[in-house]
Amino acid sequence: MRSRGFLIAIIALLAAALLYLAVFWDPLPQRSIERIVAHGQLPPGTAPRGGDFVLQGPQGPVALADYRGKVVLIYFGYTWCPDVCPTSLSLLAQAIADLEAAERERVQPIFISVDPERDTPARLKEYAPFFHPALIGLSGSREQIAAVATAYGSSYQKQPANAEGNYAVDHSSATYVVDPQGRLAGSLPHASSPAQIVAFVRQQLAAGEAR
Amino acid sequence: MPSRLAALALAALLALATGAIAADSGLVVSDPYVRLMPPGSPNTAAFMSIGNRSNSDRRLLQAESPVARSVELHTHVDDQGVMRMRRVTAIEVRAGGQAELHPGGHHVMLIGLRQPLQDGQLVPLTLRFDDGSSLQLAVPVRRAPAAHGKH
Repeated sequence: MRSRGFLIAIIALLAAALLYLAVFWDPLPQRSIERIVAHGQLPPGTAPRGGDFVLQGPQGPVALADYRGKVVLIYFGYTWCPDVCPTSLSLLAQAIADLEAAERERVQPIFISVDPERDTPARLKEYAPFFHPALIGLSGSREQIAAVATAYGSSYQKQPANAEGNYAVDHSSATYVVDPQGRLAGSLPHASSPAQIVAFVRQQLAAGEAR
Repeated sequence: MPSRLAALALAALLALATGAIAADSGLVVSDPYVRLMPPGSPNTAAFMSIGNRSNSDRRLLQAESPVARSVELHTHVDDQGVMRMRRVTAIEVRAGGQAELHPGGHHVMLIGLRQPLQDGQLVPLTLRFDDGSSLQLAVPVRRAPAAHGKH
């Protein structure tokens, strides 16, 4: 009879495990926008890790670490970008405008140029505030920009110049979200709506408070 | 026929206000605008909706404007998250349908602006179609609507 008791115990244990799984197991993240998308510059299967950087802002060096405690939204683009960047930055600006004033103080939008040859800090100072007064534009050496873009999973490719020497830069158009602890929390795909951006930012702000 | 004249004048005004109608080709442009860009931007784009009330498909082949050194028809291709802007030879406007030129999709590129464009300024723009018809527009410059969804 001892083995029978043992069997019942096993069955009870398995039933409990099944019940636990049924109640608590959440196989898929609820929102696909939280997915981190790896781009061309990273080896296949490598997730971007983000991390600290220092680049040139309108008034000198700007470090990501300067914004600890804030949610930082990073968009890679260039000021000659005719359509994609203005579209994305308008959506980003609208999202920031849609936040409550107290939330807005804890959010920092950053535009990093993938065209440092033309986008000087002065040019970026002229460009970025047009979309939102809080938006700052950062530039740097070609190597610095490439390192930051790779770390965040952004990719870009300068296109051949035309007869007048003008060129386009194809680039990924995600918005990277850094949490108040400075960690890459995820990325929002191209053409994310202001409501989607607001929802993700609020999630990060709430997570920051809960810790 | 003063009332008829008044009606014609009103129709002309309406056409001016809402865009333009090419009487013979059945093409109607609505809500056209040129995107206001930050200071110092060399390029911008024009967006609009082109309706085709005729029974035959039309193709927009060319656009012209005196405010830019060149004007091209463009689209965007989303290549695994990388947005690649490419020139197109034509934009289809199906019979009874609409062609949407909107941020992130088809657009009329104004390349090499001769002067900075001001908010509210009217930009002359001519659209030329495959049946030889053309539309003359006066397109206002304004900030692009931020809440534009994906179509």
